[in-house]
Amino acid sequence: MNIRAFFYGVGLQMRLDIRSRTLLVTCYLVPLLFFALMGGIFTSLMPETKATLTQAMTVMGVSMGALIGVPPSLAEVYGTDIKKAYRANGAPLWFGAATVFLSAFFHLFVMSCILLVLSPVLFDAAVPQNLPAYFLSLAVFLLASLSLGTAVGLSVGNQAKLTMISQIFFLPSILLSGILFPISYLPKALEILGWLFPASWGYKLMLDGGLRLSSFLPLCALFAAACAVCVLRLHRLKTES
Amino acid sequence: MNEKIQVQGLTKSYGAHAVLKGVDLTVREGEIFALLGVNGAGKTTTLECVEGMRKYDGGHITVRGKMGIQLQSASLPAHIKPKEAVRLFAMWNHARPNTQIAEMLGIPVFENKPYASLSTGQKRRLHLLLALVGDPDILILDEPTAGLDVEGRLALHELIRRLRDGGKTIVLASHDMAEVESLCDRIAVLHEGKIAFAGTQRELTEKVGRHYTVTLQTTRGKAQFAAEDIASTLLARLQAIRDAGDSVLDLQIDRGTLEEHFIRLTKGESV
Repeated sequence: MNIRAFFYGVGLQMRLDIRSRTLLVTCYLVPLLFFALMGGIFTSLMPETKATLTQAMTVMGVSMGALIGVPPSLAEVYGTDIKKAYRANGAPLWFGAATVFLSAFFHLFVMSCILLVLSPVLFDAAVPQNLPAYFLSLAVFLLASLSLGTAVGLSVGNQAKLTMISQIFFLPSILLSGILFPISYLPKALEILGWLFPASWGYKLMLDGGLRLSSFLPLCALFAAACAVCVLRLHRLKTES
Repeated sequence: MNEKIQVQGLTKSYGAHAVLKGVDLTVREGEIFALLGVNGAGKTTTLECVEGMRKYDGGHITVRGKMGIQLQSASLPAHIKPKEAVRLFAMWNHARPNTQIAEMLGIPVFENKPYASLSTGQKRRLHLLLALVGDPDILILDEPTAGLDVEGRLALHELIRRLRDGGKTIVLASHDMAEVESLCDRIAVLHEGKIAFAGTQRELTEKVGRHYTVTLQTTRGKAQFAAEDIASTLLARLQAIRDAGDSVLDLQIDRGTLEEHFIRLTKGESV
């Protein structure tokens, strides 16, 4: 692998994502606006949510960026002739997916840090006790969510279908993860359905205050499964031409 | 002369539709080789198989040297700037951007504009520069001048000739017969999934037969007629004009363009 070209590509993708309004909106604007609005409502109506506000808003923002923002960026590459231009000019087929993934990781990590800093200042929210463990949990959650978003983006080339399919993953992530209301309020079937998405495990892991295997391992399993789908899709894209 | 590309018995089908039915062709070192054919003849499929961009069903392809590829349909992310794209792909090819060729293609004029805002011609020039970025031995150009204005077309022709004179082997697919006629050393005509002809333009003319168009301007008017045996037809006509007491003011003999030969070949005339 050409390391220099790869890292230049990652840096370039970060700049392209800032220039592209789609990712800017889904990774920064909407999550931060949602935080500004819902943070005020939650902490006024239910003061006890101050203990979980940072984690809840982070789950919302990361899920939005990974599941709504990343798939269209990937479809732009793999559903169009950009894929052919990359191959024709010497870049490997996985290059586009890897750079979009790493760039989104960076942007969503920055957005999560903004939430971490603003939550206590604006809404008197609790700061996680063990910050290194919190960041590690955040990183694991980001990896799992982004791998799912990447698998969706690589699997659906059609932009119109992609918008609908992304929502199929995003909405249950938000509604069934416990960030808006406790999952104990949900019917058993929906509670079980919620555990199929990274958001539920990520929220639990970030609230645990340490890397507990009971939440960490399911996220690793989701990450591995989504990565396997990505590898298969890339292999298919390579051979189907 | 070394053979840079050898294609033998290439076959490719899309579902039940056989596009290539045993294509054989050879491209020699240092020549400009054109692949001609009507729309849907399989030019792009043939080139993509040679480039390794498309899997083929049967046959054998040998490429000797590093390839630079300008695809017929290629795109880049909407917000990337030409200078960023050039740098990125230069890095992937372990090369430095060639500023001389970039200037010749007029890239500096729009190197800071986002890709989405470039005109079709600017995009094609950028993709050509990207194809050259790794200093390839063989350059494959699919419809290189499509969307270019006259100035851009002439500059590109000049660049292609320079590249050939510099030792590069160039393969191009084109619809523009005038371009092929003025640029190419050898041509191949792809027709119904096979190579109907491969050789020089002179050999093509000999294959399809000489079809002259003669225009005679006399004091009584203008006459135009087709002739295969130019000497006897023209002598007979001139004799008739002389016998009628007329005199010739102007005489033009058109030996037929590559386009006309191509049409005759693909319509099955004189073959």
